[in-house]
Amino acid sequence: MSARDAILARLGPVGDPAVLAAEAAGLLTGEERERPVGGEDLVARFLAQLGQPSVAATHARIGSLAELPGAVAGYLAVEGAEPALWLPPDARVDGLDWAGLTRLADCPIDDGAVLAFARAGVAETGSLVFETSPEAPMLPNFLALRHIVVLEVAALVRWLEDAAPGGAVPRAHYWVTGVSGTTDIEGTYVRGAHGPRFLHVVLVGSPS
Amino acid sequence: MSRAFDARVDAALADRQLKIAVERTAGTAEAKRGAAIGAWPSFGAARERAAAIKDHVIANLGSYLVQFEASATASGATVHWAETADEACAIVVDICRKAGARSVARSKSMLGEEIGLPHALEAAGIGRVETDLAEHIIQLAGERPSHIIWPAMHKTREQVSALFHARHREPHVEESIVAMAASARRQLRGEMLGADVGISGANFLIADSGQVCTVTNEGNAELSLVPPRVHIVTAGIEKLVPSMDHAVHLLRLLARSATGAALTQYTTFYAGPKRAGDRDGPEEMHIVLVDNGRSAMRDEGLAEMLRCIRCGACMNHCVVFRQIGGHAYGGTYPGPMGSVLTPALDGLAANRDLPNACTMNGKCQEVCPVAIPLPTLLRGWREKSWREGLEPVTLRKGLGLWAWAARRPWVYRTGVRWAIRTMRLAGRGWIAKLPLAGGWTGGRDFPAPAAESFMDRYRKGER
Ligand code: SF4
Repeated sequence: MSARDAILARLGPVGDPAVLAAEAAGLLTGEERERPVGGEDLVARFLAQLGQPSVAATHARIGSLAELPGAVAGYLAVEGAEPALWLPPDARVDGLDWAGLTRLADCPIDDGAVLAFARAGVAETGSLVFETSPEAPMLPNFLALRHIVVLEVAALVRWLEDAAPGGAVPRAHYWVTGVSGTTDIEGTYVRGAHGPRFLHVVLVGSPS
Repeated sequence: MSRAFDARVDAALADRQLKIAVERTAGTAEAKRGAAIGAWPSFGAARERAAAIKDHVIANLGSYLVQFEASATASGATVHWAETADEACAIVVDICRKAGARSVARSKSMLGEEIGLPHALEAAGIGRVETDLAEHIIQLAGERPSHIIWPAMHKTREQVSALFHARHREPHVEESIVAMAASARRQLRGEMLGADVGISGANFLIADSGQVCTVTNEGNAELSLVPPRVHIVTAGIEKLVPSMDHAVHLLRLLARSATGAALTQYTTFYAGPKRAGDRDGPEEMHIVLVDNGRSAMRDEGLAEMLRCIRCGACMNHCVVFRQIGGHAYGGTYPGPMGSVLTPALDGLAANRDLPNACTMNGKCQEVCPVAIPLPTLLRGWREKSWREGLEPVTLRKGLGLWAWAARRPWVYRTGVRWAIRTMRLAGRGWIAKLPLAGGWTGGRDFPAPAAESFMDRYRKGER
């Protein structure tokens, strides 16, 4: 008997998936979610969560994507960082005027800055939601020292459940809720363990 | 107590550095969890729901495994099944060999430790880079993990500093934890990005989508799993959840219980190898579903233990763990959950001391995010050990008395209250000698129990 058959034999008969799915769905109501934020403003809640110590992200707000290069240049200047960054192979960056910033040909692997577009943002936790695709490689978001993330106000959702992939399951669906940190030495929190040490969110859309 | 356990406990208690190190991390974790749970009024209801979700999955585990296998296969992953630890290791080593792997990057996985994967890789001559900072520390020290969330909890900063100075190419100059972490970052970067195979565990396996969820605050899982050509997941069969929404409910409890954050920094759901046009990602993804005693546990009275989401809260809040650290337990899993799991995984005869080394103060059950009745399960092991005649004669007498009293709650409560009063008087807040556990109190600091017993507080509704 194969290991598969032996394990499944011990676990007993396989049930009807539809019946199980209904039973499983009945177990979820979402009613214990922290602070049922009925009327609370999504943007305010999201920005408040970005400021939590475990997330500790900075942010800027712009009205439209045309202002993105200026916002990025401003952020890097204030931080005293090189005016250079790696941009993803995403059509949205091509129409913009990046004069004044060096576009790096390769993603920096230990320092420097990268930019990425989040598919959604989650007000509950301050999480940024990404999915892999030919236009959205994954590794750059875990390598550089500064992670600059562009998020449309319209892409904010209330709960983590609302951020689930809608259609086909992407190869990787991931949530970033802060920077690479560790508490492995005496429980002391250190930022920039392996990946980004700084997370900066540029929120695009009409300020409320 | 058995000689081996006795000796480990004695050594742990004599080690002042260990006490300092454990207290620093576990104390911080306890405070952060307390603040997060305190700010979440529905924690009690949320954990009952989490327990119900896990119980539903465990009761229908065969069905969910078959569903997961089908959806993961549809995403392009290859699913393997292993009944035992040895089978699981053989499958992993075989995949590595076929891939011509010289080095693997490993992202912390307790299942990997449980099945002895580090040793199996070494025996096969395959180089191993541990990418989690704590796992890196204990790899350099040639030690085993002492905690399921903070594997290097037993090390002080001074010990880590000495280790890095001895072993890193460009060690830190300034003596600070920040500088030490930077030294590890420099050391690990190239090794991590150059690995042929990435190996991880799984926090959750999503049945309806075939996704594998990993959670890290360092981002080391993603750095270990995206660059290599092959990604191998080893996961216990109890990691199944019906859907992503069920995983979300459990993730909320996991992060708050482990570190006090609303969510861990990096949460990733992987589904199969890289797709057409993708610029990164592995060419192959393999998932090894490991039983290693779990299906037997379900049917032998330990089904509730399979709810465990490996948050570490029970050990952070355990007075015994806080005194002796994780290594004294002798198994892969320490603390209260380890004392239940180790006899199931490694045999009761060799591990009967673990369920006995418990004060039954109920704290572990109180903090567990999936409401596992740990004291009840430990008591079950004690009774089994007694029934099977594994206890020495003196202890059998003591336990017989205990069992007699336990069946008569008023006697038991009176006895516990009497013992607490005696201990507090004798030790003025610090117990000099704990009756029935003399071997591990012997004049050392041991925190006195709360002035009221757990059952007193329980009756008053203070849960
Ligand atoms: S037994 Fe409960 S508290 Fe302990 S690690 Fe498992 S889930 Fe966490």
